[in-house]
Amino acid sequence: MKKRLKITLALLVLLTLVSAMLAEGRRVNWAWFLILTLAAIKFNLVVFEFMELRSAHGFWKLLMVFYSVVFITVLGLILMH
Amino acid sequence: MAASIQTQPRFFYPPGGIMIWILIVVELLTFGIAMIALAVSSKENPELFHQSRLHLNTYIGTLNTIFLLASGFFMAVAVQETKNNNHKLTAKYILLALSGGGLFLILKSLEYYVKIEQGLTVGHNTFFTYYWLLTLFHLIHVLVGMGILTGLYFSVRKGITPERKENIGAGAAFWHMCDIIWLFLFPVLYLIL
Repeated sequence: MKKRLKITLALLVLLTLVSAMLAEGRRVNWAWFLILTLAAIKFNLVVFEFMELRSAHGFWKLLMVFYSVVFITVLGLILMH
Repeated sequence: MAASIQTQPRFFYPPGGIMIWILIVVELLTFGIAMIALAVSSKENPELFHQSRLHLNTYIGTLNTIFLLASGFFMAVAVQETKNNNHKLTAKYILLALSGGGLFLILKSLEYYVKIEQGLTVGHNTFFTYYWLLTLFHLIHVLVGMGILTGLYFSVRKGITPERKENIGAGAAFWHMCDIIWLFLFPVLYLIL
């Protein structure tokens, strides 16, 4: 179990560093889209692994995935226009 | 029938308890709406928002994200140790989680000090009004979370009881909530505008 948590932490740190590098580099003009997608992935990693939502009722899992997808979609649509 | 009996408790008992999850959903909606309002405002004056965002230090934001993630990891391990009824290790990992929160506070205070020195206070412009309101509101949650973790630390040192297990689960859920709010706050404020 601890190994799974350690892998999750390593992945979270890696994704955080990638996000920062994407923002600093700005080599692609859709970097913001990648950064938001990475944030949603990190959000779900914390919720499912650290908060143990994997073992919870489907409603809670769906609610959190739904929230992250709707949030980045709305934010993305605002930033695109 | 058997399926509905099994499903109902799982619905009402997410990890940490249903009350803390109702709070988490409300907090996520509140911060979510505020961040969307920030994005809408940024469209009215994109140059001002972009120039203001450049005053924020990406490295400090990144390091603070890592501190909160590491702290969340230690809290998740503490919950695992609670299930093993190991109160000494649970207390140790709660203390490590608290240390992560402490490092976040130190770095955040340093960042605030630099911003105040530069005159980038709450009324400087719209971006900084959002910056101060959102980050201070988040910081209050971190402080409350640290208060909860401190209480849990002193309580668990006396041993693990079923009631303390529940309290640790709820406290951990609150602490992780600070993480997940920051995971969206960080890119919205520091990286994308």
